Amino acid sequence: MLFAIDFFVRRLAQGVVILVGVALLIFTLLRVVPGDPVRLMLGPMVSPSVAEETAKELGLRDPIIVQFGRYMSQVLRGDFGRSFVRSAQGGSTGGSRGESTFDASNRAPVIELIATTVPYSLLLAGLAFLISLIIAVPIGVWAGLNAGKWPDRAALYLSSILVSLPNVWLGLVFIFLLSVKTGWLPAIGYQGWTYAILPALVLAVELVPVIIRSLSVSVSANLLEPYVSVGQIRGLTRSRMIAAHVLRNSTIPLLNVLGIQAVGLLLGGLFVVEYLFNYPGMGLLMINAVFQRDFPIIQAIAIFSCAALVGVNILVDFASTTIDRRLQY
Amino acid sequence: MITRRNILVGAGALGTAAVLGEIAGPVQAQGKKTLVLASMGPVTGNWDPTSHTTLGQGNFEKFVFNALTRAPMRDGEADVLEPALAESWKLIDKNTMEFKLRDGVKFHDGKEFGAEDVKATLEYSADPARPAASFCPGKVDVEIVDRLTVRLHTEKYGYPASAWWFISSVIPILSAKDVADPKTLEKRPNGTNAFKYVETNGDKNVLHANDAYFGGRPKIDEVIYAYVPDANTRVLGLLNGQHQIAERLEPEQYASLQGNSNVATRKGLTTENKYLHFRCNKPPFDDPRIRLAACHSIDRQQILELMGEAALPSSCYISPMKFGYKDIDGYPAYNPEEAQRLLAEAGFPNGKGLPQLEYITSIGFYPKTKEYGELITAMLQEQGFDVQLTVLEPAAWEVAIYRRADGQGQGHMCDVGWMTPSPEPDLVLRPNWQSGAALITGINDPEIDAVLDKERNAPNPEERLKILTEETFPTMAKKVPSFSLFSALTFHGAAKNLEGAVYLPYGAIDLSKADLV
Repeated sequence: MLFAIDFFVRRLAQGVVILVGVALLIFTLLRVVPGDPVRLMLGPMVSPSVAEETAKELGLRDPIIVQFGRYMSQVLRGDFGRSFVRSAQGGSTGGSRGESTFDASNRAPVIELIATTVPYSLLLAGLAFLISLIIAVPIGVWAGLNAGKWPDRAALYLSSILVSLPNVWLGLVFIFLLSVKTGWLPAIGYQGWTYAILPALVLAVELVPVIIRSLSVSVSANLLEPYVSVGQIRGLTRSRMIAAHVLRNSTIPLLNVLGIQAVGLLLGGLFVVEYLFNYPGMGLLMINAVFQRDFPIIQAIAIFSCAALVGVNILVDFASTTIDRRLQY
Repeated sequence: MITRRNILVGAGALGTAAVLGEIAGPVQAQGKKTLVLASMGPVTGNWDPTSHTTLGQGNFEKFVFNALTRAPMRDGEADVLEPALAESWKLIDKNTMEFKLRDGVKFHDGKEFGAEDVKATLEYSADPARPAASFCPGKVDVEIVDRLTVRLHTEKYGYPASAWWFISSVIPILSAKDVADPKTLEKRPNGTNAFKYVETNGDKNVLHANDAYFGGRPKIDEVIYAYVPDANTRVLGLLNGQHQIAERLEPEQYASLQGNSNVATRKGLTTENKYLHFRCNKPPFDDPRIRLAACHSIDRQQILELMGEAALPSSCYISPMKFGYKDIDGYPAYNPEEAQRLLAEAGFPNGKGLPQLEYITSIGFYPKTKEYGELITAMLQEQGFDVQLTVLEPAAWEVAIYRRADGQGQGHMCDVGWMTPSPEPDLVLRPNWQSGAALITGINDPEIDAVLDKERNAPNPEERLKILTEETFPTMAKKVPSFSLFSALTFHGAAKNLEGAVYLPYGAIDLSKADLV
């Protein structure tokens, strides 16, 4: 118990430091790199003086540290600001005063926008996970059990091919072959959970090699451990040995892999895949926000993604310690 | 014997069948005609049309709002105006223009349309503090003669009322109640046109048919204006039936879709010209001879070959779709000897002594900009210009091209297209080349200002046409603050069963008479 408390307090404190660091980095990069949200909001025929006025109203001409301080104090109060560009979702919401060119009251709160899109991304990520586990676990275990023989090599070749396929190209090919040409699966946008299958397949293709590799290596390594032969001498059947003991020990590295690499891969792949399939998740929201230089959304999603990754890492490490007490520290 | 395996397999088959069955059904609800338009331009969050000048939102607003007149801009008929909210209009004298308004029109919120709405709209839109004020020729006083008659007075502001002739088809007419209440104006667009705004869901804006539309209820019940930035995704959605219109196809997509039997394609000349803008307020392009030398170094024929179907040759500062277009005599042609002669005269024989020049272009917005940017760079380098090509992604490029508050702009040349929603040439000429604005070039040339003012002050369209073609454009061709490379065409794809859609040459699509058969 004490270990658990100690562990979480320590790791959460580290996580907060990482989060603030990432937030500052993204914040600064956005304001330093070329691309002006005001110009994108107002369009080409606007005079420079009106553009400057709008930028001042948005607070974009203050020193970066001042802007960051203001932003962090809002975030601590739970207010992630409002989009520069997107209007309130659904019908109109309550407005307020102001005749200025930028009146935030009509823009959608960032939290609302993210909350609308996160369920779709979770569905997509969950489906991708499921599909990749269904494909990769049998292959990985089989390859590990037959280390050095042809199943192992076949798994290696399969992994190499899958890892080399660019997800952009694969996505377009899938849409063209499996949706346009044959009509087997729907592709663009979202009108039911089946629209998540194709994008999940593309994401799964990225995850499968990682899982196969990790599983086959750890299964084959575990098979060489003394306890396997000792257990068989003591009377346990080989299949019981594998099912009850080897697999359990093999999942520790897999857990780490799933937590760190897989979630990271998913987060990265999500942006591209959702953009290609026009799937209304968090990734598409982020990409469109980058095109339109919608700073509040970019910052919020960066913070949430970082928090998700840090959180998953902490959970995975903790879960490892419950599987194997020797990993406690 | 039925084993557990049989049951599992059976369940799997059942599940698959259910999934496949769900896909087979049609996209649309019982009998409702929905059209999904995949657009490349997002809308901003502010529904007040005077708060922005972006093309994407402007085209969306064309579904919801009417203007006083409508410019159909059919080929070769740049100067035709048709009635919309105004039934007739005339110039009473040099500084007064009268509009007689249509009776029996209602806004989407039920308010009756009348002269007070025109007064509120035009005076609000022309206020210099509004971002879209540059669409208006200047401030205006609107007199309400009676419920259905207004007069525009421009005497106090020093320009002729005829400047409002074509602009009457551009400015969306707002409800006077909304203009008086800015927070409502920004919250939702409320117009008089065939479709009314319902809601926004993520990147989709939903419009429903306006039952009370004065032109007759549209046959299409629902229009969904979806922001789909990737061109491939737009087309793939068209192919698998999820989009009914995909705009801004790339030339290669247009070519490959022409053979497809499920999709109709169309190409059209637009109001857009692509320009090579020179920064005229700093060396070396503050010297017109060096600008001319650069123009004579460029062989536009090669650029046209590269662009293929996406470009039309034109030797004028505006597109053939605009009022006043004519291929100008004396427009700079490819002439390397003349380029060398001018460079030598300006003191830079063979380009020696010129600083390195930065040429800014975009990628991913217009077709083939990187390719012809490289071509132009090579052609200039052949004549001795030391040119460095900077290719930027659209958001960064949009910042780089405009002059900053200190009047200076990045680089020495930039590639920009200019698409405007009207036959009115001043929407191109004044923002780019009148010294008070010159948003990109920074040109400050009294001769150019004089011919621009002269054409704007012309007493009638015939005189104006004469001045434009005989004085304004030839003067500009001698000074070349910018070099117009070609006129652009755009390509659309649509579902085969869509009939009656009218594609306007600035991107807007009129669906008021369209039907999905």
